[in-house]
Amino acid sequence: MKRRIIILLLLFVASSGKAQDKAHFSLFTDRDIYTSGETLLLKVFVPEGEQSGIVNIDLINTKGKIITGMSKKIIDHQADGFIDLPDSLSTGCYLLCTSTKINSSVTVKELYICNRFTGLPESNVALQSKETNYLVEKRDTSFQIEGLNKNYSTREKVSLSLHLPSEFLSQLDENLFVSVAETAPGYNSRTFFKSVTPGTNRIIEKEGVVLDGIVSDVITGKPFKNGTVFLSIPDTIPRFKYYITGNDGHFKFQLDNYFGKLQIVIQGFDREEKRFLKVVFNNRDSLTSVVPAFEKWSVTPELRKYTEDNTEATNFRKIFNRQELAVVTTPTAKPDDYPFYGLPTEVVDPQLFIELPNFTEISRELLPGVKFRTYNRKSSLQVFNPAQHNYFIDQPLVLLDGIPIRDLNIIKDLGSKEIDRIEICRDERYYGYLNFHGVVAIYTTKADFTRIAESDDVIKLKSDGIQPDVSLNIPKEQPLNEMDLRKVLLWKPSLKPDNTIKFDFETSDIRGSFKLIIKGKTRDGSIIYKEQTFDVN
Amino acid sequence: MINRTFSIITLFVLFAATSLTAQEESPKDMNAQIIKGKGFISYPSYSGSPFLNTKFLKGEIEFLDGTKVKNIGLRYSSYRDEIIYFNDYLSAQIVVDKISLKAFSLNDINGTKRIFRRQNYDGFLTGERYFEVLSDGRISLLAYRKVDLETCDPSYSKLGLAYKQSYSYYIFAPDKGYAILKLNRNSLLSKFDKPNQKLVRKVLRKNGVMITDEASFVLAWNLIKENEIPVNF
Repeated sequence: MKRRIIILLLLFVASSGKAQDKAHFSLFTDRDIYTSGETLLLKVFVPEGEQSGIVNIDLINTKGKIITGMSKKIIDHQADGFIDLPDSLSTGCYLLCTSTKINSSVTVKELYICNRFTGLPESNVALQSKETNYLVEKRDTSFQIEGLNKNYSTREKVSLSLHLPSEFLSQLDENLFVSVAETAPGYNSRTFFKSVTPGTNRIIEKEGVVLDGIVSDVITGKPFKNGTVFLSIPDTIPRFKYYITGNDGHFKFQLDNYFGKLQIVIQGFDREEKRFLKVVFNNRDSLTSVVPAFEKWSVTPELRKYTEDNTEATNFRKIFNRQELAVVTTPTAKPDDYPFYGLPTEVVDPQLFIELPNFTEISRELLPGVKFRTYNRKSSLQVFNPAQHNYFIDQPLVLLDGIPIRDLNIIKDLGSKEIDRIEICRDERYYGYLNFHGVVAIYTTKADFTRIAESDDVIKLKSDGIQPDVSLNIPKEQPLNEMDLRKVLLWKPSLKPDNTIKFDFETSDIRGSFKLIIKGKTRDGSIIYKEQTFDVN
Repeated sequence: MINRTFSIITLFVLFAATSLTAQEESPKDMNAQIIKGKGFISYPSYSGSPFLNTKFLKGEIEFLDGTKVKNIGLRYSSYRDEIIYFNDYLSAQIVVDKISLKAFSLNDINGTKRIFRRQNYDGFLTGERYFEVLSDGRISLLAYRKVDLETCDPSYSKLGLAYKQSYSYYIFAPDKGYAILKLNRNSLLSKFDKPNQKLVRKVLRKNGVMITDEASFVLAWNLIKENEIPVNF
């Protein structure tokens, strides 16, 4: 009886262990030790049943403060990308966290980053997590690596074959991840799991990043109902979105299929123009709940030597502007055939005419049907409505470089020299639930929207859209008189499994120990791997 | 006592339900948020109707990127070839930008779904037009529901002008373009080779179809399509 109970207990423990693995993200990086200013390459296997379409990866310090991060589209339960490590990072332990906005589990990988200007501390003391709930990987012996020697010389071509038995292939759930990179002696980073409580307003990011926040009344501080929040992304054809808040004053914008770095302006307006609003952007700036307990460890002399060489190589690459990555797919921009305010009735280029000193003069001389006047330091603007044979009573939508403005004093000093073009729509325009009594869109030559100042109701922010796909930038022919200081020799984050996979790479000028790593995820959710080390002398 | 408790619970549930609905005050149709257009300006009042449907009918619009907005009030202006949408939130009639649309559909009073597609017409008066799809396929049968403002007998209209239907019918294939049709048997037969004309006549005779109006023409066209008789245009 006792034996039966023990067996049942063991079976339960085993099955619960598997279930745990399935529910977590698996996170891998090209290396464990980096120098500030370098690029970190990463690969994520997403658990089955994950509802979110976007995975977020954040680099945090040991206090939980988010330093940088990226978002990537999940395709076939996996994602890969990169993070540019800021030059300003101080030497120490950092944590790379992977999660989605709705998942309560965060996978954390610890990394050691050395500042490329200051190097390692004199004390040799460093921190390492004491976490025990770490990712367990299974070494697989069924597949064979053919053609990999123990030693290579610098700049030697290496051709490898990977033989995968059919039983192994049938077990694989997703693509394989293959990497060849320099290894650090005496440092093994760990990947562990942490549980977090997702926020109350959980938003599923399906096709793009979601930006959210709250608008409140400046005087009462209470969430503002029926406020209009504008999101503008300045561009040749400006992109625009809006949200009308409910009782909770909450707003959200889904930036579906927006790629790369985005310059965003968020504004909050009271539709009745009675109240001034404050926009608070829900910017997640810390992840303190995932920070584990740390213990001290001493940097070995070998590791010190390795980081010193590493720093030197990074500095060289920085000085000679060697690009580590190349964008492989230029994502298609969101199809905006014409501006949200409609096709302009008239487009005026003031630089084609006599130079005019301010916008009052420009409107008088060049803009038929646009009346701009300034009395007692207050400016007003009206557009002629041809349907009514009179000017619209209300102010039109005025845009400066694609950003809506209400304070017309911003544009009153704009002269011909500063304006690239002015687009005018003389109709009563509608955009969803918004109504504009004509539109005047001014595009400046600088297009830097510095004239729009940040305030309670205006937030300017630089946000990341979805990261585009990149590949490792390996020069086809490296001249002999130029140092090749690549630390990552091969990075194939999504390799289609087959019985035989062949790949080539060339060693760089870096001498040291390199590791070939092959990882995959099986149908039961566990991670299998094979690795082999070789030296470059 | 039980009855009293039951009524209190019922009241409480009713109160909770109403308070929940009260929260839903802002427009929530996310797709309707992207409808672009301009304010509708009433047409001059003459005899006849400038609209295909004088009352707003429920329908859906499809944008170029495939996004659809369903269950909105639509009215097709045959006079201007425009689709007018009624925005409940703003209580405004909006002429949806033609450039932004791929297609729209209306559910008429009989419950029939009428599909209109935006296509570039390269014949006389070229430009983007909304064509009603009467029969779809490799070769589509299309109707251009145009209404013109024409002079008329002053006894018919005080101002001497009236909106008059001037519908045109086309067969269209993406590789061949448009070919105009009239709603009669001869026009239909002219789009077939001699040997196939016999086949067409046979099919129509067998099914007892007499082309007298639009409905019978569409029926005849669909029978030809079913019998896979090759069209030559």
